[in-house]
Amino acid sequence: MRSEVQNCPPLTHDEALNVRPATGWLASIGANVVFLGLTSLLTDVSSEMVTAVLPLYLTSVLRFSPFAFGVFDGLYQGVSGLVRIWGGLIADRRRRHKEVAAAGYATSALCKLGLVVSGALWVPTSICLMVDRLGKGVRTPPRDALIALSSSREHVAEAFGVHRAMDTAGALIGPLLAFALLARAPAAFDAIFVVSFAFAVAGVGVLVLFVENRRAGVDTAAVGVASWRTTIGLLKVPAFRSVVLAGCVLGVATISDAFVYLVVQRRANLAPHLFPLLPVAMSLTYLVLAVPVGRLADRFGRARVLLAGYGALAAAYVPLAWANAGPAPLLASLVLLGAYYAATDGVLMAMASRTLPSELLTGGLALLTTGTVLTRLFGSTLFGAAWSWYGPEGAVRLFLCGLAVALGIAATALRAPA
Amino acid sequence: MRRGRALAFAVLCVACAVGAGTYVYHAMQRSRPTSVSQPPEADGGAVGDTSGTMLLFRSTALDNSYGKLVLAPLNHVRDRRVIASLSCERVDYAHGRGVCLAAARGVFTKYSAIVFDQEFRTLFTLALAGAPSRVRVSADGAYAGVTVFVSGHDYVADFSTVTSIIDLQRGEYVVPDFERLTVWKGTERFEAADRNFWGVTFRNQPDTFYATVGSGGQTYLVEGSVGAHSAKLLRDGVECPSLSPDNTRVAFKQRTTQGIGPVRWRLSVLDVPTLEDRPLSETRSVDDQAAWLDDARIMYALPNAESGSAEMTTWVIDADGAGSPRMLVPQSYSTVVWRP
Repeated sequence: MRSEVQNCPPLTHDEALNVRPATGWLASIGANVVFLGLTSLLTDVSSEMVTAVLPLYLTSVLRFSPFAFGVFDGLYQGVSGLVRIWGGLIADRRRRHKEVAAAGYATSALCKLGLVVSGALWVPTSICLMVDRLGKGVRTPPRDALIALSSSREHVAEAFGVHRAMDTAGALIGPLLAFALLARAPAAFDAIFVVSFAFAVAGVGVLVLFVENRRAGVDTAAVGVASWRTTIGLLKVPAFRSVVLAGCVLGVATISDAFVYLVVQRRANLAPHLFPLLPVAMSLTYLVLAVPVGRLADRFGRARVLLAGYGALAAAYVPLAWANAGPAPLLASLVLLGAYYAATDGVLMAMASRTLPSELLTGGLALLTTGTVLTRLFGSTLFGAAWSWYGPEGAVRLFLCGLAVALGIAATALRAPA
Repeated sequence: MRRGRALAFAVLCVACAVGAGTYVYHAMQRSRPTSVSQPPEADGGAVGDTSGTMLLFRSTALDNSYGKLVLAPLNHVRDRRVIASLSCERVDYAHGRGVCLAAARGVFTKYSAIVFDQEFRTLFTLALAGAPSRVRVSADGAYAGVTVFVSGHDYVADFSTVTSIIDLQRGEYVVPDFERLTVWKGTERFEAADRNFWGVTFRNQPDTFYATVGSGGQTYLVEGSVGAHSAKLLRDGVECPSLSPDNTRVAFKQRTTQGIGPVRWRLSVLDVPTLEDRPLSETRSVDDQAAWLDDARIMYALPNAESGSAEMTTWVIDADGAGSPRMLVPQSYSTVVWRP
């Protein structure tokens, strides 16, 4: 990242960024984004610590069946979507992105403490885990809105890249920390939850103390205009509708990571204890590429990079679709999966943020996120069914075709420039 | 202003670090083995004359034997002999071959299946795909069926098991993953994407095994052949089968709750020819692959009442559905009969 500071051309500052004079790279990204990234890094250390040990905890301490959780999932996703949009509305209406995001982060932090207090009781533990995910739903759109509002218009995808790279770094550190702790203090899950809580509190601390609300480009008369009607009405805005359509159509044709790892693991004949390294290979690629790909998106077109990212995803599926692929192509699959994330996750948000009026930004992003979450869920159900019918290779081939069609639709939809 | 916030953040970080650090320190103290531990009053006398029967189990006493293998005569479990060299999560032994499922904890915890002989010498070490769950050795020491938990980095959604069969004479996998077995449901192939296998047990003619296959929240008993790489569904509602020494009955855990909440299992026994089952008189929920003490009695582990404790106790119950549970071996887990 350092070396890029010198490569950075002199920048035209956005009106919004004149608040604090800064130079070079940091000015184009915005210190706010770096602090939001730090918040996410700490929060991801916190949440991934818990996620990593959760299956072990549920089965060994709570004696909980993994199937029991699935019952809630469909219902939960729907409720989570509504809460997410509702949080977005409040953030937009009051111009308080930071406060709404902080509420989401703080909720998740408290849930970590709740896990400690719940002990081996399953009802409070399940409630904590759900509220935790609800908190994640609430905090994401206002945070992404702040990233968009804090960075200059020419560097918005790069700013998302910086944030996602820091976020992913946290996701890599969390499990390592959790398993290191578990090695020192066997079965001391409560200690893991306490450490996770401490990281979450530090994350909230960064947000509350250093992140600032942005009032960029606000027509004060427009404040208060956000409502369910106006937010849903955003779908009538052609440029935004194109982005949502592209995100959703591509989401249906996406195979969930869990399935990808399953196929790679079966195929690669990898030493079994290396299985946990598969997501690490993907995340490292994502971490390394997030910023440079964001820069590419800003320079050569975000839609182009987004579509290229899904092209990388299609390329990642190719070795999975043929049974005799060796270990090298399968490793390439994971690297391509990382590249896909780098080129799509933040870039889609960056694109959407450019099509939305700032007074409806958070609600719009929440709408988009809910759409992609639901379509991906649908896609993974579809993949499960396809697997039963055609076997793993057949299912991947089917999705490869689906992805090609989706890419065509998305490319057509996005052709009308935002 | 800015300096004030930086100071506030520094104070917050120090507070978090000190708080979390103190808690972790106490947790480490708590789980550190203490030098002396007093097993509670209970012993093999509870099951009458058992002279000559030896038990093999994992010690869960919170002392320096924690996790180690113990071999002890059934009527003198307190004078137990600790096999210090092997630390195992699960164990089984028959006819000169034992299998210990071990976990080398670390940043990337490495799991392995250690094949040992009657002197507890390591013969082979095979890597495992995840955390140990079940192991059974066939009566002639030819094969072991191993189940491990594997989990990705997502929430519980992608949690699953991998089950394999190891050739104990050659020290290699003969069935690396049950997912590749051909499974028949009547005359149709059973190929759900979410199908999952666990809990193997062998017949005396060891090419034949029984196991659980789960799919869509349902569990089924399957009977399979190692050589043919195939299995067929026998009936539903059976988990973690365990064949009696005379091969006529299967002890298993039967799910008694559906839907949300922690699952409860009732320990039950089914007759192999008729596939009809009856519940045993143990009413507490048993999450274990039971082991037969002899043709009339079944052993299983339960956690001790205090929550959060890693201590387990092995209990014994009559296989005919009568009687009441008796404590067999305190501070033990994965207890099996040593079959020389």
